[in-house]
Amino acid sequence: MSAAVSPQLELRGVTKRFGGVAAVDGVSFEVAKGDIVGIIGPNGAGKTTLLNCISGTQRLDRGDIRLNGSSIAGISPHRVAKLGIGRTFQIVKPFGSMTVRENAAIGALFGSAQARRGVAGAFALADEVLELVGLRAKADHPVSALTIPDRKRLEVARAVATRPQLLLLDEVMAGLNNVEVDDALDMVRAVHATGVTVLLIEHVMRVIVGVCRRAIVLDFGHVLAQGEPEVVLRDERVIQAYLGERYAKRLKS
Amino acid sequence: MDAFVQLVILGLLAGGVYVAVGVGFGLVWGVLNIVNLAHGALVVVGGYITWQLFTGFGLDPFLTLPLDAAALFILGYALQRGVINRIIRAPLLFTFLLTFGVNLVIVNILLLIFGSDFRSVTPAYSGQGLELGSVVIPYVRLASLGAAILLAAGLAFLLNRTRIGLAIHAISADRDAAQLVGIDLRHAYAVTYGLGAACAGIAGGLIAMIQAITPTAGEPYTLQAFVVVILGGLGRVSATVVGGLAFGLVEAFGQSIPGSGSVFANAIAFGLMVLVLVTRPQGLMGRLH
Amino acid sequence: MIATTDSQRRWRRAFVIAGAIVAGYALLAPLTSLDVAQSANIPLLADKFWFRIATYIVMFVVMASAWNIIGGITGYAAFGNVAFFGIGAYTTGMLIAKAKWPFLLALPLAPVLAASFAALIGLPLLRLRGHYFAVASLGVGVALGELVQNIDYDGRPVFGGASGLFLPIYAVGHRGLFFFYLMCGAAALAIAVTWWVLRSRFGYGLIAIRENEEAAAVLGVNTTAYKVAAFALAAALTGLAGGIFSQWNVFINQDNAFPIEYNVQMILMALLGGTGTVFGPAAGALLLQLLIQFLGGSLPISLDIPFVSSEARPIIAQVILGLLLIVVVVFVPRGAIDFFGGRTRLSLAYLRRSLRETSL
Repeated sequence: MSAAVSPQLELRGVTKRFGGVAAVDGVSFEVAKGDIVGIIGPNGAGKTTLLNCISGTQRLDRGDIRLNGSSIAGISPHRVAKLGIGRTFQIVKPFGSMTVRENAAIGALFGSAQARRGVAGAFALADEVLELVGLRAKADHPVSALTIPDRKRLEVARAVATRPQLLLLDEVMAGLNNVEVDDALDMVRAVHATGVTVLLIEHVMRVIVGVCRRAIVLDFGHVLAQGEPEVVLRDERVIQAYLGERYAKRLKS
Repeated sequence: MDAFVQLVILGLLAGGVYVAVGVGFGLVWGVLNIVNLAHGALVVVGGYITWQLFTGFGLDPFLTLPLDAAALFILGYALQRGVINRIIRAPLLFTFLLTFGVNLVIVNILLLIFGSDFRSVTPAYSGQGLELGSVVIPYVRLASLGAAILLAAGLAFLLNRTRIGLAIHAISADRDAAQLVGIDLRHAYAVTYGLGAACAGIAGGLIAMIQAITPTAGEPYTLQAFVVVILGGLGRVSATVVGGLAFGLVEAFGQSIPGSGSVFANAIAFGLMVLVLVTRPQGLMGRLH
Repeated sequence: MIATTDSQRRWRRAFVIAGAIVAGYALLAPLTSLDVAQSANIPLLADKFWFRIATYIVMFVVMASAWNIIGGITGYAAFGNVAFFGIGAYTTGMLIAKAKWPFLLALPLAPVLAASFAALIGLPLLRLRGHYFAVASLGVGVALGELVQNIDYDGRPVFGGASGLFLPIYAVGHRGLFFFYLMCGAAALAIAVTWWVLRSRFGYGLIAIRENEEAAAVLGVNTTAYKVAAFALAAALTGLAGGIFSQWNVFINQDNAFPIEYNVQMILMALLGGTGTVFGPAAGALLLQLLIQFLGGSLPISLDIPFVSSEARPIIAQVILGLLLIVVVVFVPRGAIDFFGGRTRLSLAYLRRSLRETSL
């Protein structure tokens, strides 16, 4: 990737405070078009808050967020979605009274303007997306009948149905067992292969190493390190922050 | 005497009644998450018990207050245990409708028993009062302000210092966790609603001494309770006290506006409530939750 | 929204056919009072007294369907919709009584003004959720009624004051019939609007807001605009009913244009029939109003309640209504449509299940 191409997503000194505490404190990084980047960090490092600031569900206090060079800082979530950023929630938020297909259709109906094709078109697009994430067979099920891994898939399907250029995934693997994580990894790869840039938050190291080309480590709202996952995860500061000092010493000795 | 001071005194006296009407409503709303549309009807029941004991047995109206509380506690406990507990997990509109149904039943049973005539409780001392300059402050009103403050203090003590009070705190913080630590939810819910009803009963007894009551007079009390609880903020007895007194003051000053200020009392109160809701949903004293 | 089976479809068809027969009868019976029908010896199936009750019932069909748009589909528990009824009534009433506008010119302004008011207060109020929205909307309704009754200008009441506002009688042949069919038109409009909403992009956005507002927003739903639009749409339909009411009733005041109990009634109707559905609120309105009228003794078919004097009868009727309300809310929290519409059949198991789901 040449330096002349402006990054798809660019964060400059993003800060978000709750009362006196800065949950996110001067975070800056870039995500190139077509990349797949992971954000890791211990609990309370500010990962979800950062995602909230990007997707507009929380207003940032300072700094700037740019999508393809133009600022999206502080604009409302539905406009962020229309500009081409899709997101999932760590705690899934399905539309409970709807079927799986209808859930995905909401994304297709309201997402980026190019994707809009009326109600019938939205249902067609919803089916395509459900195929991609592996939920096609359950399209007519009510969401209440879905298992936890399937609910996470639905969360991704809805976001993908908005036809985003950039997809923010908030711990879609949390709470899944090993086999389920492998399936979910395949799903993320499949979505990425359609040309979507992916920025994902993860707790599970295996996910970051497995799919990400770049990793960003957050700790107490700061960027601790960033780079190739294998390199970053061997960084001593990262090991200390992430696994605790004792583990870091043991690893060294 | 200074007109301003007069208004303040009148406002606080009126506020005392609002405190009494508000505390029970706020307790039920804050802990059980039920907006109790039957609250006004329960107030009126308390008023009729006082009236009956006063006219039938010649009991001093202030002495009937504990009896109001006891009777309403039993009624409230039974209502919650037998009926309202059954829809506690349903969407909020259902509790609105259910308590409206309870309201309808109570009001019409009162109509069957007592008819629609206005009744008032007038003990021998009801005409006497404290002379302050040009105004006379009836002793009854002073005493009911005191009784209302006592009621709020008693409720606060009960909630903060007793076993059942702690259980009520626990269920208001986290219903399911409270159950896990061994609190009998059905009983605790019923006690909470019973306490709310008991407060309504005492409020009714106080109101019967100050103004005439009729079975259908309850609705304004429910509305006032809304305003008082919103003004003060949900979740604490002390906040309701502030809300009630503030509401009394607002009303007194609103009525003093030259022209036809008095007829806008409700409009002013509700306008204020909506304003508070929109700008400061946690109330004057409340914490966000 | 959930896939239907054959037996469910059969139930639904039976329900729709029964509804169509009732509606057809109700719509056509009043025509037998026309001179043409009388001279052709067609038996009289409905008289003036009936039109009045029927018009009143249909008015509630409009209001319950309108409430359903904001309360049932969008999930915002509006508790002060009667404000829009009052605004509609007073808009039309003032234009006719004071500005001497003809009725049909004044009527369209009723929904316009009601919707504008809803949009204005909706912007701040719809930021509140749950009980808080319900309470604030109730406050608006109560305050507005009092303002209308008490606003004076130059020592004279602007809106007729406590003595109310009298309108000139609308000069039209078969007045009773005219207002009945006009109200039916408003009801048809309300139902058609609901039908359209539930099939449109707009409606999907509203349902998404009801199910999870934050998720709806990040998927691109402009939640503020959608909520305000739904509120304004509900207000417009309610205001239309109010506008028709004012000319039909010829007299409006705070009590009949801003009755607080209408708030509860329209919600109860929608719940009874099934919120979020096209015909549910209408069915609920018919059911509840017929019951209220029956208990009140206004229907030709009525039962004598034993041991009850005629003076106590309306009071007993209210007690029964209250008890019924309690029973319905406790046992059938998902609305009558749930089994009339074919999802489930009324059975002991159903009642037990719904009880278990909602009780402590």
